[in-house]
Amino acid sequence: MEILTDAFYLVIEPTTLLVIVAAAMYGLMVGAIPGLTATMAIALMVPLTFYLNEVAAIAAIVTAVTCSIFAGDIPSALIRIPGTPASAAYANDAYALTGQGKHRLALKLALYASVAGGLLGTVLLVIAARPLAAIATQFTSFEYFWLYVLGLCCAIAVSDRGQARSLFALTLGLLFSTVGLAPDFSVPRLTFGLNELINGISFIPAMIGLFGISEVLRVAVTLPQRRPHSGAPSAQASAQGSVQASTPEATVGAASFVFGRKWALIKSSSIGGVIGMLPGAGADIAAWISYAVSKRSSKHPERYGQGTTEGIADATGANNAALGSAWIPALVFGIPGDSVTAIALGVLMMKNITPGPQIFDFAENAQQATLVVCLYFTFVLANLVLIPLGLLAIRTGGLLVRIPRAILLPAVVLFCIVGSFSIAASYVDVWIMLAFGCLGFALERWGIPLAPIVLGLILGGPLEHRFLQSITVANSPLAFVDSLISVVLAAGCVIVVVLPWWSARSALR
Amino acid sequence: MKVGSEHTLPPTACVARAFRQYALLAVVFSLVFTADGVVRASDYPNRPITIICPWAAGGGTDRVSRRMAFELERKLQVPVNVINATGGKGVTGHNRGLKSRPDGYTLTMMTFELNTMHWMRLTDLTYKDALPLVSVNEDYAALLVAADSPWQSVSDVAAAIKAAQEPLTASGTAAGGAWHLALAGWLDSADLPAEKVVWIPSAGSSPSLQQLVSGGVDMVCCSLPEARSLLEAGTVRALGVMSPERAVGFEQVLTFGDQGDSWTLGGWRGLGLPLGTPPEVVAKLRDTLEAIVSAPASQPDSFAAFMQQQKFDSTWRDAEEFEQFMADGDAKLGKILQSEALAAVSEDRFNPMLYPSLLFGIGLISAGWCFVSRAAPTEIPAATADASAGDVAIQSTRPWNAILCIASIALFALVAEQVGFVIVSIALLAALQILLGTRPPLAILVAVILGPAVYLLFAKALRVGLPMGWFGW
Repeated sequence: MEILTDAFYLVIEPTTLLVIVAAAMYGLMVGAIPGLTATMAIALMVPLTFYLNEVAAIAAIVTAVTCSIFAGDIPSALIRIPGTPASAAYANDAYALTGQGKHRLALKLALYASVAGGLLGTVLLVIAARPLAAIATQFTSFEYFWLYVLGLCCAIAVSDRGQARSLFALTLGLLFSTVGLAPDFSVPRLTFGLNELINGISFIPAMIGLFGISEVLRVAVTLPQRRPHSGAPSAQASAQGSVQASTPEATVGAASFVFGRKWALIKSSSIGGVIGMLPGAGADIAAWISYAVSKRSSKHPERYGQGTTEGIADATGANNAALGSAWIPALVFGIPGDSVTAIALGVLMMKNITPGPQIFDFAENAQQATLVVCLYFTFVLANLVLIPLGLLAIRTGGLLVRIPRAILLPAVVLFCIVGSFSIAASYVDVWIMLAFGCLGFALERWGIPLAPIVLGLILGGPLEHRFLQSITVANSPLAFVDSLISVVLAAGCVIVVVLPWWSARSALR
Repeated sequence: MKVGSEHTLPPTACVARAFRQYALLAVVFSLVFTADGVVRASDYPNRPITIICPWAAGGGTDRVSRRMAFELERKLQVPVNVINATGGKGVTGHNRGLKSRPDGYTLTMMTFELNTMHWMRLTDLTYKDALPLVSVNEDYAALLVAADSPWQSVSDVAAAIKAAQEPLTASGTAAGGAWHLALAGWLDSADLPAEKVVWIPSAGSSPSLQQLVSGGVDMVCCSLPEARSLLEAGTVRALGVMSPERAVGFEQVLTFGDQGDSWTLGGWRGLGLPLGTPPEVVAKLRDTLEAIVSAPASQPDSFAAFMQQQKFDSTWRDAEEFEQFMADGDAKLGKILQSEALAAVSEDRFNPMLYPSLLFGIGLISAGWCFVSRAAPTEIPAATADASAGDVAIQSTRPWNAILCIASIALFALVAEQVGFVIVSIALLAALQILLGTRPPLAILVAVILGPAVYLLFAKALRVGLPMGWFGW
């Protein structure tokens, strides 16, 4: 009890609160700029944490990440460039809503669902850290292999344009992921003699190109000169929509919609929470899987991909829930779940705190225990602070849709360039972005969905790596289904792929 | 070419007219920004310095690089930024840093891999392409097993390897990475059968330690600081460290030497510059860096104190010793990498092209399936919702707009490095806006405000290294 009150006072100290608000604004800004990821936001903050005490340092990191993952939804809804890869799963839905003039609704929905998901993820972190960590230790390369396959199957299952096209897009993404020098091999592959490609194709410039530049090209070719408003259908619609959506009902509507979906959100947040804790999987896969689950259980699966409100709510809830549980392996074993917690661990160690099972021994080490409780409080506070600041960000971002396309598009082009350049200050990434922009433009004309390409790019490397690891260790093919978790995950893959077929067939009858 | 026929003034004339109207404004803005750049001719350093880190954000090298950036910034009074140029097993970052403009504004946090990648024929770059400044850390490889493993010492492992029927598994880093070489070198030097240990490549020490804990591999070879929290929790056990002396902070871990085995191998990190950097710049950096790394750990807030807190070893060497150290290491690694025990490193266990060809096959099949299902009448409804909107618009298609967008991005990538970010971005914004139909005066106004604003946001507030160009912005 004493620990609780101690921690509470530490967190509500004025400096800490100030740090939380500042970190929230910073996180929102970085997350909203395409190309700048949550990892980068945190890496840039590290020198600042040298000046802060440990509570404020943790608060700054937690808040900035929470806010930047939500902020990734803002550009993905407004200009169809996912701010972070976690938003790619539902980028088309959010953008479709903007096209219908409902960008405020889409973003408020994302905001409230993010907050709800974040809070539920925190609850999971508080009550289930130990048992969940026990599951996480049982993940060998086989289980990871199946988890990645499940993620890929979900991308095929959620397709709204036919499974064949999704499969094609996914294979394309996986194929792109093999370019360059992989950790498993000593020779670079598919670089076609270009030394620049030894690094592989990084998925952030690819994602910016696929979604951002291709959309710019699509609008540009239909844009009549001198009359900026009449060309793009979405510009027209949003001009009317922004008036209508700013009425108070929209706010109430979004909030009550999210509340009405509380069971679905609890489900998707649990999915997000469990996947988020596995090192290396994280928020990106969580968003995909819960989007697929959401579509499966929806009464309106046909709206998915065309501007579904349900799918957006569930998937954003899941990716925010994943953030909290990413700390589980970090705190319990000192193994970071993602690059963000890796940096956070470094900061913790600098402040003389060693993660490990003993960190939960509240009687043993009161100082560390207090800090863990502070971490919980910070998660709650970060999510609460996100509501007012997020609404402000949505309002500011909403101004974007009123800017005439002829002015907005060049600015988007510039941001795409800077966003892809800034990851590694490399021109190769700008060329990659441009190439993928042209590719995305062409593929969309042929009705091929783009989001699976991004997932393929992200999961391709780890999938191959875990597969090779598995067959190196395995004595027989049966080793792939040797453990309970493997069997469950493999069965999940089969269900996800077969069920839509089967239900479609029985519906025909 | 309908584009031109609808409008009387060609775009070039619009630009010219607008330039007359807004030239003054543009000049004022440029002057404001030049105040930042023109002073560059004076003393070194007078603009931001970049440290290239060849490894990912959050890892050990990244943490050391960022702390070093923080220290340098305090001493030199200019911003020092870290860029993670990752990939290609370190080749990308080392090449970027050591082949950059030799003006002293790009430092590279070189690592052990500089001495291995040329032996593996990944690059021509060697330690001879770097002007060493100072080495900041040496972490030696250690052999770790899970807490429930029967092995208690290095000789237990050696005996187990000799007696093994099925090969044992080990992990710790990518194939041919520092810890892989350390293990392979040990097997070679101790005359143990190398084929009895299969190296499972992994993305880094964290995932391999997790595999060790979950029982996925028999042993892990990595540095002690990387395994620190698991060691302290008692989930893994360190059998020995391959260092000449016991590691600071881990004095209870025996060295291989303590156990009658003379093998040593460690990773290291140190700063370097491209060849051809002016001597006075090199001298200034060497002095500054030596002052930073030699500050005692007892002094709070010093670099050594930071390294100690992170449990990194903080042995440092000055430029001369560092160069000798790299030369020795290079020769030693050359021997390991060309030895038979390591033939497996240069020879992949699986055909690298198998997976891509498999994917290619699936891609072809799915493309065929797309084609077939397209012919079937049931498909497509979803796709058409979007496409039909496009079809209506196709009547007024202006492919030139798209081509110009593409060309402008390509042009940016080609000239930005020479000309500088602000000028190129203003030109790009203005040109694209005018071509898309914005009135030229408005377009130029927006461009002149937005270009520098983006620069301020990224280069100043977020510290991204944007192209410098003629004027330093």
